[in-house]
Amino acid sequence: MTPDDFTLSQWYAIGRIEDFDDPEPATIRLLSQNLTVRGVDSGLLVSGPEGDLLPTQTRFGHVWTTLSDAPRDLYNMPEFEEPGRRLITAGAISVRCSGLRAVENFLDMAHFPFVHNGILGVEEHPEVEKYDVSMEAEGDEIWATKCKFYQPMAAAAAEGGQITEYKYRVAHPYSTILYKTCPIRECEWDLIGLFIQPTEEDACIVHSFVLVYDDDNTDTGLLHFQQNIFLQDRMILENQVPRKLPIDPRWEMPTRADASSIAYRRWLKSHGLVWGTARLQETV
Amino acid sequence: MHDNGAFAGWFPAAMTNAILPETAVRAIIQTDDIALWRGADGVARAWENRCPHRGMRLSYGVVRGNRLTCLYHGWSYDGGGGCAAIPAHPDVTPPKTIRVRTYQCREIGGLVWVAPEAEGTPAPMIDGDWAPCRSLHIGRSVALSNVLAQIPGAEAAPFHAQAARVQTPCSAPAVLGVQPMAEWGAMLHCTVPGTTPSETHHNVSEWLRALRLTLERPIAA
Repeated sequence: MTPDDFTLSQWYAIGRIEDFDDPEPATIRLLSQNLTVRGVDSGLLVSGPEGDLLPTQTRFGHVWTTLSDAPRDLYNMPEFEEPGRRLITAGAISVRCSGLRAVENFLDMAHFPFVHNGILGVEEHPEVEKYDVSMEAEGDEIWATKCKFYQPMAAAAAEGGQITEYKYRVAHPYSTILYKTCPIRECEWDLIGLFIQPTEEDACIVHSFVLVYDDDNTDTGLLHFQQNIFLQDRMILENQVPRKLPIDPRWEMPTRADASSIAYRRWLKSHGLVWGTARLQETV
Repeated sequence: MHDNGAFAGWFPAAMTNAILPETAVRAIIQTDDIALWRGADGVARAWENRCPHRGMRLSYGVVRGNRLTCLYHGWSYDGGGGCAAIPAHPDVTPPKTIRVRTYQCREIGGLVWVAPEAEGTPAPMIDGDWAPCRSLHIGRSVALSNVLAQIPGAEAAPFHAQAARVQTPCSAPAVLGVQPMAEWGAMLHCTVPGTTPSETHHNVSEWLRALRLTLERPIAA
């Protein structure tokens, strides 16, 4: 199907600048279309299937493009300007599921003790306490706050178990950011986020980043921590049925711990988003 | 909406030894994705391979006692398919409405037989003691009649649409069961009498390997 207006009107990360330093033009996939990326002296040129040049911008360490003539503004992340933070990108990982499923999994704490057992959770502490979910009308964003979870090893810089406090932000259907208490600086938040490149309705490439205060770990150490976590998630994401995100509330059964997932699905529906979702009466 | 429920009748889904005690495995019948699992009570069960919570395949789950626990969020289900525990909310009794869709499941003739709950016909009767010998994947869509056509002297009227008793060239009878898997080809399961010596098991296995090659050969125009 043709992507709906909300999906079409977004900017999408397609990689980091250094991912396109090959002199040969690269073919990439976005919203079931082939795009071409060429490096020129002034930067990168991205062209659509008809050869038409598409808008680009470089933000948050990544190159972004859009298929829309009148795209919505890309959201802001002021933390990227703060001195002392380190940015580590954790690569582009292909996942055979709708990118919407990947966002939803990222918003979920209840899976920590089972999928990330011994790292982000332990089976002895599976409880998800009530947290707040709000829809910020002005920014048209979802925030989940006061999220608390017992974690044996919340970050590469963590020593031993602790109750970690989280905030989650969704300001884009294919992007989500986690703010978690920094293990070494009080009153500061470390950021971890996903910029998802939806290639097909049921396939995506996940670009992820870490923006942290961390004096001890090497870039490689932080990269390995993130990749280890994400590969555990990928095994789940590629085995959810259907691969597209079911929006109809009768299809999958949530509980209170899924409040952020419920809000996300409602938010997508309220914007008329259909592409990448599983429809009733459809064989997938 | 994708729903299991694409077939009617009884189909072999595995040999009985493919579901080890307290484990779960995946099986496909036509286009239905099915989790087979065996509890501590030894009973084999067949369920829709999808956790009602967030769609995770239950065949990746963990069996503890007589419950199957989903790998994703640890929701566990009792032997009847009802949700027994939601770890994120330890104080909440799961509502009875949270249920996994189940199938009928019987172990007969060394094979695990599966039918939709609504199936009214009884599972096949197979007399005698049969032991699992070998399961093979056939890389094309085959029916039981295609298999029997390759076996000299095979009975024209098998005892079941998906299974037949045959005489192998290894001086042992066998039960052959065909599990169709739509575009993924088919599984061919073979069981032999429980008293069959291991050397004969080996010979039957070699015979099956040759049979598979024949079945996968392109059909002459």
